[in-house]
Amino acid sequence: MRISIRHQMSVTPPAGSAHAVLQLLLTPTSGATQKIVSWNVEMAGIGEAAQFKDAFGNTAHLVNQIKPEGELLVTVTGVVETTDRHGVIGRPGGEPVPALYRRNTPLTKASVTLYGKFRNSKDSRLDVLHALMARVGELLDGPAAEGQSQSQTQNGQSQSQSQGQRPAEAVLVPHEGVEHQEAAAKLPRPPATDYAHAFIGAARALGIPARYVTGYLLGDEDEASCFHVWAEAFDEGLGWIGFDPMLQLCPTDRHVRLAAGLDALSATPLRAVPAGDGTIEVSLSVTVE
Amino acid sequence: MGDTTPFDEMYNPDGSVREPYRALAAWLEEQPDKALTLMQSDAEAIFRKLGITFAVYGSDEGTEKVIPFDVIPRIIAAQEWRKLSKGIEQRVKALNAFLYDIYHRQDILKAGRIPEKLILQNSAFAPEMMGLEPAKGVYAHIIGVDIVRVGADEFYVLEDNLRTPSGVSYMLEDREAMMMLAPDLFQRQKVAPVENYPENLRRTLESVAPAGAGSSPNIVVLTPGIYNSAYFEHSFLADQMGATLCEGPDLFVDGGKVYMRTTTGPERVDVIYRRIDDEYIDPLTFRPDSMLGVPGLFNAYRAGNVTLVNAPGTGIADDKAVYTYVPEIIEFYLGEKALLQNVPTYNCTDEEQRNWVLANIADLVVKEVHGSGGYGMMVGPTSTKAMHAEFRKKIEARPDNYIVQPTLALSTCPTYVNAGIAPRHVDLRPYVLMGDEVRITPGGLTRVALKKGSLVVNSSQGGGTKDTWVLED
Repeated sequence: MRISIRHQMSVTPPAGSAHAVLQLLLTPTSGATQKIVSWNVEMAGIGEAAQFKDAFGNTAHLVNQIKPEGELLVTVTGVVETTDRHGVIGRPGGEPVPALYRRNTPLTKASVTLYGKFRNSKDSRLDVLHALMARVGELLDGPAAEGQSQSQTQNGQSQSQSQGQRPAEAVLVPHEGVEHQEAAAKLPRPPATDYAHAFIGAARALGIPARYVTGYLLGDEDEASCFHVWAEAFDEGLGWIGFDPMLQLCPTDRHVRLAAGLDALSATPLRAVPAGDGTIEVSLSVTVE
Repeated sequence: MGDTTPFDEMYNPDGSVREPYRALAAWLEEQPDKALTLMQSDAEAIFRKLGITFAVYGSDEGTEKVIPFDVIPRIIAAQEWRKLSKGIEQRVKALNAFLYDIYHRQDILKAGRIPEKLILQNSAFAPEMMGLEPAKGVYAHIIGVDIVRVGADEFYVLEDNLRTPSGVSYMLEDREAMMMLAPDLFQRQKVAPVENYPENLRRTLESVAPAGAGSSPNIVVLTPGIYNSAYFEHSFLADQMGATLCEGPDLFVDGGKVYMRTTTGPERVDVIYRRIDDEYIDPLTFRPDSMLGVPGLFNAYRAGNVTLVNAPGTGIADDKAVYTYVPEIIEFYLGEKALLQNVPTYNCTDEEQRNWVLANIADLVVKEVHGSGGYGMMVGPTSTKAMHAEFRKKIEARPDNYIVQPTLALSTCPTYVNAGIAPRHVDLRPYVLMGDEVRITPGGLTRVALKKGSLVVNSSQGGGTKDTWVLED
């Protein structure tokens, strides 16, 4: 499917800042499930930006602004040709060893209620991962979610936006819950983040490498298009496989993959210092071309 | 080991003076009464004047203290030092090879020589460093190796310090003070110089500048600021090697390159000797709330436009749990047997070992895996029963958080105390520089436990320092 994306975000450094630096993880790469036809990231100063590969194999931009005034606008436009491979990404080159993604982070500590029953499972890893995806959905969006609200994240984070129903639109909400992140950077956190973190934490607890993936989701009659996040888990046979625990499916040709990391923090699409009130989504359109 | 009389570095058991200490013994004999008392008070005046102070965390006074200095030097014979420095060089080369490997192909994990979990799940492992190519392949450029002596020919490595080892300024100032206090003593024997450390540091830093930095790279020392306990050392080293001392806000990143703000405009920076902990160096990559770091610095480093010294993520090589594998690491990368021994270490996650540790805690030393500076540590023989009970509970609650070692009978050196000259326990921290070559300063910092019988030499816990002499043939 040929998908066209236009995504605008803004960040407003506090008035009087001498200098602002932005890190963008907003450049996708071609792979088994997608081919980048065209891609463009625009903002003032991007011409002089440093472009590099980060430790997780993502293409990053480092943009700086001297004496920034008012809002800094970032505009992403591109066309991507996607193919439905039932989420199988395989083993792209230039990535760190999968074992790295067995590492739990403060954001991905999962409760044993999520994964406990799979600990001694005799099923194949693939079967376990599918069952785990179902389990995450069951616990996070079923009626039972009330009583399970602390089950998948630490620090008593609640899933207020996501309980009971899928959000019509993935609003970029300020990140909360991890103390040291509150002060300087309020990160965009779509509700799907909770699902992804729960799945990733549980997979890691079972010894399965799992990572956090950002991207775009093409909507349909029921759901609007949105900036979206999901997970990928590693299978020795197939390599990396995508799992979208909020939608309860493996990514399809409606998913456009942007970047991967250990958790929402390491794959944040736009990180700025000083961040002012954080990143705001200005507009987003994801359409079939 | 452990229960015998400690090794006396000056006297043989029969009371005769050991070879390297003969000139010193004769000199001490010749000193008139009160000479040492005078020297001691002169020393204090010198140190106050030099401004060498340190801040103790958690002390009520919150003020700067002068670190106690003992006027009697510690002496190491030339052949003893040759052996030690060979062992140290082997160790730092292997540890750097280990760092390169675990941030690239991870052969040692694939070979099953170290449990993968111990590295990849370790909080000291920095995933952000994966695949990064540091200049000359060096991660830890400045290393302090803590060594204890327990016999004439028996040395143990207590720990490796590959993050930002401090204390080198005391080594330099101790020598300067000693030369002022007892110039005649230096004429009786040849003592290997330490004064060229700042120059060697500069050379080492220059040798790891990024490609394209030119023949005289711009070097800065990055400090967290005046409230840091080692601020004196940061300013001292910057001054001694002719580098600029700066704080985070003095630097900025533009187009993936690092610049320093100066009165004459931005100046490109090539090498940063940073004395800020990993997680604070760049709020865009690490802790978003860090006010000490430079936004974008880590990415400029990844892009190969600046060198950070030491590299982030070196802490995985001096982690107390990884320490037990260092002999394995040396064999794996160099194909050699370790020349310097590790202190035997008990693993509390093993039930059998843990039970033995809990039963014998009164004779053992317990250390927190991520602790340093003598904090979070218990020396069994000098602790109360209540302390033993407390640490038993701690170990039972979190066995992976502690390592346990036998109480070592650290060697003693003659030390000037109120009662006169008496033996006190010492350790040794030699300083190693690694860039285009390995440069080890002869000697290092000797720390001495000034309290009778005490084995804790940390300055934050009432330890002092001594000038350390390596004799030349």
